[in-house]
Amino acid sequence: MATTHEHHRREVTIPVAGMTCAACVRKVEKALKGIPGVQECTVNLSAGKAGVVYDEGVCDVPQMARRIEEIGYEVPAARTDLLVLGMTPGHCEFVIGPAVRALPGVRDVTFNFSTDIVSVEHLESVTPAAEIKKAIRSLGYEVHDRGEGEDTADRERKLRRAEIRRQQINMLIAWPLGLVIMLFTFSSYAPLDSFMPSWADDKPLLFALTTPLVLGPGRQFFIHSWNGLRRGVTDMNLLYATGIGAAYGIAVVNTFFPDAGFGGEQATFYEAAALLIAFIVLGRYLEALTRGRTSEAIRKLIRLRPRTATVIRDGAEVEIAADEVVPGDVILVRPGEAIPVDGVVLEGYSAVDESLISGESIPVEKSAGDEVIAGSLNKTGAFRFEARRVGADTALAQIIRLVEDAQTTKAPIQALADRVAGNFILAVHALALAVFLFWFFAGYHWFFDESTRLILTPYKLTDLEVFGFALLVSVTVLVISCPCAVGLATPAAMMAGAGKGAEYGVLFKGADAVEAMSRIDTVVLDKTGTLTKGQPSVTDVIAGAVSGEHLLALAAAAERNSEHPLGEAIVRAASERGAAALETESFGSLPGLGVEASVREAEARTGVLLGNRALMAGRGVDATALSAEAERLEGEGKTVMFVAADGAAAGLIAVADTLKETSAAAVRELRRMGLEVVMLTGDNARTAAAIAAQLGIERVLAEVPPGGKADEVRRLQEAGRRVAMVGDGVNDAPALAQADAGVAIGSGSDVARETGSVVLVRDDVLDVAAAAQIARQTMRLVRQNLAWAFGYNAAAIPLAAGVLYPFTSQIVSPELAALLMALSSFSVTMNTLRMHGYRPPARSAGGGGEAARERPAARLVEAAR
Amino acid sequence: MRVTEANAGRIGALAAGGGSSLAALAFFAAASLGGYGWVARLGGAGWVFALSMIILLPTLMPLVRERAVKRGRHSAAD
Repeated sequence: MATTHEHHRREVTIPVAGMTCAACVRKVEKALKGIPGVQECTVNLSAGKAGVVYDEGVCDVPQMARRIEEIGYEVPAARTDLLVLGMTPGHCEFVIGPAVRALPGVRDVTFNFSTDIVSVEHLESVTPAAEIKKAIRSLGYEVHDRGEGEDTADRERKLRRAEIRRQQINMLIAWPLGLVIMLFTFSSYAPLDSFMPSWADDKPLLFALTTPLVLGPGRQFFIHSWNGLRRGVTDMNLLYATGIGAAYGIAVVNTFFPDAGFGGEQATFYEAAALLIAFIVLGRYLEALTRGRTSEAIRKLIRLRPRTATVIRDGAEVEIAADEVVPGDVILVRPGEAIPVDGVVLEGYSAVDESLISGESIPVEKSAGDEVIAGSLNKTGAFRFEARRVGADTALAQIIRLVEDAQTTKAPIQALADRVAGNFILAVHALALAVFLFWFFAGYHWFFDESTRLILTPYKLTDLEVFGFALLVSVTVLVISCPCAVGLATPAAMMAGAGKGAEYGVLFKGADAVEAMSRIDTVVLDKTGTLTKGQPSVTDVIAGAVSGEHLLALAAAAERNSEHPLGEAIVRAASERGAAALETESFGSLPGLGVEASVREAEARTGVLLGNRALMAGRGVDATALSAEAERLEGEGKTVMFVAADGAAAGLIAVADTLKETSAAAVRELRRMGLEVVMLTGDNARTAAAIAAQLGIERVLAEVPPGGKADEVRRLQEAGRRVAMVGDGVNDAPALAQADAGVAIGSGSDVARETGSVVLVRDDVLDVAAAAQIARQTMRLVRQNLAWAFGYNAAAIPLAAGVLYPFTSQIVSPELAALLMALSSFSVTMNTLRMHGYRPPARSAGGGGEAARERPAARLVEAAR
Repeated sequence: MRVTEANAGRIGALAAGGGSSLAALAFFAAASLGGYGWVARLGGAGWVFALSMIILLPTLMPLVRERAVKRGRHSAAD
């Protein structure tokens, strides 16, 4: 039985719109976990997504979507309109309908036979449009994109706009009415009494003004909390509903039954109910306005995906949906168009803006044989390329997935916040009950006096009796508490941090990676390929008897047939420096020593020896005049080769793996941040020390075999260090995995294949510092948000419970409580939005000694516009 | 009544209602002993009932449902 369940286990991500706080998260999680067959469920507030593991033999995605909608949230499904040719009414809907509905993420299918359009409402993250088209095609129909559908991003945007509009309308009703009710309520107090009419504080009039407010803009809180309660889940709406309901209920009783003992006509809290609604609606409006902005980065990336591609089929240009391109298709790209999939250029020449992927701000020239990447922009010429990676396999799709993963996972620090926020509402209700019981049975009798008033109002509560007073304090406790701020603190900051990382080519694989990266105190840098280019090149040519150019030409001729990396470096240098190409007549490799060759120059032949000291000594070449220079170069970590022409020492050629342009600046920046920088290499100690000296690195771990790198990282960790290992992600995989934060320097197109918790899209070690700075800034925001959220609740709830009342005879009014609550949640969002303007110092002008670069994603978005 | 996944919600609600009624009754009794007026006694009992329902409903319903699911799994395994 268990095995069958394993076979049916499936994982989906469902978009959820309309969540406003951590209690909503808990509400959705509880509702989904309540569905038989749902095994695991994690909801992320900021990302607006629910990750569900379920048994597809027991429940399905539409059932989950329905349950989410039943408790008051929305599931923004995409709508894809397809032109399906060959349909006949009354038959084909029974063929296509069930086949499409059987796909896991499909919610609804409608047919319009007059236009041959099939509209499918589906969850894009579960079932993409391409899968639907494939299913219909497999039934023998011809399917074309109609291009008028809406993707999830469009639908989410629409829902957010609708929510903003809804709260705007609510505000337009709630604020004018609320202010009028407040003015009327206090019309008998100075200075209002001098100009307000005497009938203004007439209680039935206030009832008539407040009731539409409670039934209009206030209705949403009662409906949402009822929907949740009947399924056994709670959210912030319940706090609002009980607060508004109690204030309004007392006011109504005191208006129509003034002798009932609830405080009489002088204790009608119509203004409390009205302003409560007004402030909560204001909070909702501000949140709706700002919430979407924390996830703007991912939306910018998604928008870069071109929707169509021009494919060459049977010699003709055919425009098809980008998701229908298959590997092997030949695609035409014109100037100004975005490249739809990853591939290799077949013919043509152009400059392509790849700044999104590689960070290279200058367009890269592309000709036959070069790779092109989806999402990059073709600038100048037209070219054709063959599709190699499509759909979810493209580099852009991988980057989007990594950023989304980072935004939807939960950081360890969030566990505490989640536990608190999840049980907060129940705890606050329990506290409100305890507060009520205390003031009812004891507090009122001990402390109540006739001068009792509400803070910041002239409103006296002289006539309030024990029940009215205890109820008022209890309601205020409910209203002032703000679990939203606690629940929002971490995910909002993580979302902004992961988005900011993507802007700078730093991809965090999960929120835990952000947290780990922020805590590191030691950075271990692999030398080859990370600090250095990983490719030897000629650094010095010391000529003796012949000119430097001639020496290089002789050496290049001798090495022309060599496949040794040092030989290739010499041939490359000769070509780059314009040395004459001499003809090689004979060539011989001398293992462990070097090479010998016979080189033809005009009519003469020259015997060339190129190799180490042993080769020179073995062939009787006197190289003592070059020894001092050779030792100096070797001391700098370079590999020195002696050149002899016709048996006489002719000069030296030094070859070394050169540093990347930004390596020194990166090390400086990391040290400036207070991090210890360690270089790890398999090279000999002398070479390693020379490189380290150039970079200003004091601690070097040299002669470490590839398998020993992870052990070195472990030793550092055992010494109490929190280590970030930086490597190319292939050879260094064990060390990257061992480190607290594994930073893989990626090559752009292979991002998802890299090991490590942080991937740097650019091949630039300065981004290690940028990654640490973004992570630290993100965690700083998390801490600030949590401190604010916990601090606010810790201070506000006791205040509302009346701890100061025995000394001041003043209590917090429910409307003031509502204002404070709305501002608390808003402050967290606003604090998080500060991340938008953040620029890591490593990437700022002069940061790390490097000129500021443009932010790749942002710049490409600008270009796309 | 046997708890099943189908009736778990109703049973949870009944349990919460019972617990809240007991809390309200206890409050009413204590307030009566303390010599409070009818309005305070009834109003207070109503508020205690409402808050207790809000606390107990989301606490008991998942517990009952969880028990029903476990029982269902055991039955299926048998």
